[in-house]
Amino acid sequence: MNIISVKDAVFSYDGTRNHVDGVSFDIEAGSYTTIVGHNGSGKSTMAKLIDGLLELKSGEIFVDGLKLDLEHLYEIRSRIGIVFQNPDNQFIGSTIRDDIAFGLENHQVKSEEMDALIEEYSRKVGLFDLLDKEPQNLSGGQKQRVAIAGAMAMRPKIIIFDEATSMLDPKGKRDVKRLMAELNDDNRFTILSITHDIEEVLQSDYCLVMNKGKVYMHDTPEEIFKHGAELKKIGLDIPFIAQVKEEFRKQGIKLKKNDLEGVAEELWQLNSNH
Amino acid sequence: MKTAVLGKYMPLNSPIHNLDPRAKIIAMFLLIVAVFVPQNYFVTLGLFAIILICVIISRIGFKYILQAFKPLIFMMFFLLVINILTVKNGTLLASIGPLSIYTGALSSTLAVVTRLVMMIMLTTLLTATTKPLDLTLGIEYILGPLKIVKFPVHEVAMMISIALRFIPTIIEETMRIMNSQKSRGVDFEEGKLKEKISAILSLIVPLFAAAFQRAYDLADAMEARGYVPGANRTKYRKLAYRFSDFVVIFFSIAILGLSIASRFVL
Repeated sequence: MNIISVKDAVFSYDGTRNHVDGVSFDIEAGSYTTIVGHNGSGKSTMAKLIDGLLELKSGEIFVDGLKLDLEHLYEIRSRIGIVFQNPDNQFIGSTIRDDIAFGLENHQVKSEEMDALIEEYSRKVGLFDLLDKEPQNLSGGQKQRVAIAGAMAMRPKIIIFDEATSMLDPKGKRDVKRLMAELNDDNRFTILSITHDIEEVLQSDYCLVMNKGKVYMHDTPEEIFKHGAELKKIGLDIPFIAQVKEEFRKQGIKLKKNDLEGVAEELWQLNSNH
Repeated sequence: MKTAVLGKYMPLNSPIHNLDPRAKIIAMFLLIVAVFVPQNYFVTLGLFAIILICVIISRIGFKYILQAFKPLIFMMFFLLVINILTVKNGTLLASIGPLSIYTGALSSTLAVVTRLVMMIMLTTLLTATTKPLDLTLGIEYILGPLKIVKFPVHEVAMMISIALRFIPTIIEETMRIMNSQKSRGVDFEEGKLKEKISAILSLIVPLFAAAFQRAYDLADAMEARGYVPGANRTKYRKLAYRFSDFVVIFFSIAILGLSIASRFVL
């Protein structure tokens, strides 16, 4: 079942050219989809269009069966949580506790229920002990985890990560990426991640490649990385593991794992069997 | 910029910290009015003593209060000069060329400076003992009745809250831009007026551009989390008066009353 359906979406910031140009795709409920593309390919614009933060010039978007229009806008927003790129610019409360409460207040959750939700979701992102800390006392990775807790506390069906790891240090990146994968476990949340991090594609179920405002490819990561030359042509890299797997595939050896340790183990076993 | 104290909260545990923010705001307002009413030095001295006691109870320390005066020293000096130049009451103390200093000028300057000092002490006491969010919440509750005349109380409180929240972020951004411009050879300390203006411009333009970008991003983040200006929201934090809050308000009213009475009696 599709939870997001985009049909012939067209959008322009300035009216001179279409920054999203006839885009159509479907996102399966419970899946983890990454959207990649170079700067200006329209991927972040797509995230804002799905949440109704920008208005389509033409085309249609359906979220969880609801057509994105003024009538359903707030209903749709309650089903989507977004984590943006800059952790500083989305921290609204004075403390972690108040920031998580902000979305709950907007969705009119009863005051007496808020403490339990704040506790539950701050624990899930590993920030329970820091609930009364102010944003200036947190690292970039911790601030992004606050944003994730804030999004999760609203109990949405979809969480969109709009380049959520691009401003983080390697540890922050690893933490947030691990959390994203955990959120998708058991298909609890549908994850849509707009990213420059090509390595992240490997942990997703599907990948959508955008170029010049259009969908260039939409498939599983494995299939996408078979088109290495085409991806390089539009300025995208191929993850090291994907390159290794592709080279072995050409030799008739199919490797299943997507991480370095997994691939090394598979190769070790193949070697032992021979 | 890093040593700026005015408006900064000090996380301590004192009876003043534990008061309801509304009680503190009302008390501060009443005491500031009380400070500006009397004409008698003894009453002013009495008020000063009361404020000093409050500072001691708050445990924020006099050093902290003194730091709050730093940015205002120039203004106080300016007031002193204006008073000396304009007030011609009392006996002539000294005369240098066209300038004459009268006793009246000194006493009125002393009165203005004392009141200003007490006002700064009171506001510093309020902001140092009240979390920014509680302060905003207090303002929202106090202004609550204005909703009847369609005054956007919540929106004003939200604006104040966001402004307070972003002060450290903007300061950090300013420092970052300053360091970045310094590394490109911009000198913010030395140089002629024209060079200094150019240096300041190299700071202000990117700072404004970044601030606008932040504002757009924040608006998106707020909307994405379901914020609609004017729409009904529940409240996570709720305020409740305690007995001590009523005592503080009562004493503040009494002090204002005595201050007003002193004007007619003494």
